[in-house]
Amino acid sequence: MALYKYFIKRLALTIPTLLGVSIIVFLLIHMIPGDPIDVMIGDRVSQEARIALEEKLGFHQPLHIQYLQWFSSAIQGDLGISIRSNQPVFQEIMSRLPATIELTLVALFIAVVFGIFFGVTAARYRNTMIDQSMIGFSLLGVSIPIFWLGLMLIMFFSVILGWLPVSGRLSMGSGVETVTNLYLLDGLITGNFALFTDALKHLLMPAFSLATVSLALVVRVTRSSMLDVLSEDYIRTARAKGLLDRKVVYVHALKNAMIPVVTVIGLQLAKLMGGAILTETVFSWPGIGRLLVNSIGFRDYPVVQGVVLFVAFAFIFMNIIVDLFYAYLDPRIRYE
Amino acid sequence: MNSELKQVIFVYKKNKLAVVAFFIAVLLMILAFIGPLLSPHDPLAINHGARFEEGIWDGNTEHILGTDNLGRDIFSRILHGTRISLSVGYAVIAITLVAGLFIGLISGYFGGVVDIVVMRFIDILLSFPPLLLALVIAATLGTGLDRAMLAIAIVYIPSLARIVRGSVLTVKEMPYVEASRAMGGGNFWIILGHVLPNVMTPVIVYLTLLLGDAILYTAALGFLGVGIDPSSPEWGAMLSGGRDYLILGKWWITLFPGIMIFLAVLSFNLFGDGLREAVDSKLRL
Repeated sequence: MALYKYFIKRLALTIPTLLGVSIIVFLLIHMIPGDPIDVMIGDRVSQEARIALEEKLGFHQPLHIQYLQWFSSAIQGDLGISIRSNQPVFQEIMSRLPATIELTLVALFIAVVFGIFFGVTAARYRNTMIDQSMIGFSLLGVSIPIFWLGLMLIMFFSVILGWLPVSGRLSMGSGVETVTNLYLLDGLITGNFALFTDALKHLLMPAFSLATVSLALVVRVTRSSMLDVLSEDYIRTARAKGLLDRKVVYVHALKNAMIPVVTVIGLQLAKLMGGAILTETVFSWPGIGRLLVNSIGFRDYPVVQGVVLFVAFAFIFMNIIVDLFYAYLDPRIRYE
Repeated sequence: MNSELKQVIFVYKKNKLAVVAFFIAVLLMILAFIGPLLSPHDPLAINHGARFEEGIWDGNTEHILGTDNLGRDIFSRILHGTRISLSVGYAVIAITLVAGLFIGLISGYFGGVVDIVVMRFIDILLSFPPLLLALVIAATLGTGLDRAMLAIAIVYIPSLARIVRGSVLTVKEMPYVEASRAMGGGNFWIILGHVLPNVMTPVIVYLTLLLGDAILYTAALGFLGVGIDPSSPEWGAMLSGGRDYLILGKWWITLFPGIMIFLAVLSFNLFGDGLREAVDSKLRL
């Protein structure tokens, strides 16, 4: 099966899931115990205001009509209006999306690059102090609560040493020329070195704490996969040919050890997206996770609904991309 | 069964780290029972005269781990928090076990339309990032430990149901099931008497690995202030309460509850890992 046919098949299989997800997200607002209008605006407002909000949210119509209206608007990018800010929910999400993308991408980068490097190093120096400390690190890393780690990093690097800023994406008053709203990238594109370093300083602790669990898992899987591969005959042959050890490890062995590692990296997407909710809360990072938590606090349910739908859809599509990548790496998958 | 258990224990005991983790886990379980009795102060008692007191490192024997922004004794709160975290963890396991077994057994055993519908629904639930799902369900259900337990359990029920269904599909084709049916055994009898006991091994392993996770999720919900009362001595809620004072150098409010979460999650994870390895080795024999 050609890759594009596999992609179409995979996409078609997703449609019922997308519908199901949308129904669940839609029903959430109706599962709030008590009257959702009361919960959202309190019971002290006038009867007129209540009726106005009810009409605005379409609550006076039957449930299935409400769903159809909501869903058809949602797929056109209209997720309703935030009760608190009166802004379109889609716009609220879009304005915060770059912050979350930047955070998760940098965290993923840290997890993958350092994870593979540490994992390979541990396998290369099996049963030495280096290996033991890598194992120890990955053991601690998978169990550490990242929100607590974030707080401890703040205490050490911000409060005690004063090296890194406590929260936010940029220092107060730093003018930003935004191109992509990914500040690291913007700094590079516009050649604004000050912006780049400022953004990087703000990003280091959140990205590191978000990356920890994934990093530890990548180390673990890379190590064990490399150990399997390093005992293969073709590695011995490569060594016998007199190739440099570094070349044998990074070229011959690593390439063959990658499939389980890619699987684990694919699974990290969900972890990072969940983790972003926590990390953004710890570091007051102005992303989607913080928008969600704040909106829950303010009972701004249109925003909650919008964010959950958006993230769930994004997650499903990212999984399709990961699957495509496997299918590309291992053609057997396409025929299953 | 007895010799199988011995074999599992034998393999488990070889893993030194898992043994240490087991003892820490047991210690935490004991603490969850007797902790509140040992607690020197009321965990909820506000004492404005004793705000931000440092602990024993500053010579404070009254509040050995210091006090928080409302003068509440951190040591007492941590002890009470152990009970909260562990009981939420166990409740999540119990809910997941009952619901996951029920759904998995019915879906796998009867198959057909029921199976298709249930499995579709499970796919849908699994397509949410887990923390997001727990968070919105907790937000929808409102504040209360019982609701937080339910919100966290809903995250795990689909995975367990899927595991159970998978095992049921194999077990129901076994000759002993056929024999029981030939002897006139009804579906109810076959499910409870033959299928259930034979799908329990993967279920138990899954549940042990889940405990650490459930404790972590409880703390995460407490930290985000969703589903768990922010004034309760839940470890995550304590972290959240101490967060604003960290910049002022009041580190003890966040350090100790965090260590407890870390220790609990780590020991239950290592215990679960060790058990899985031991059970796997038994299966291989």
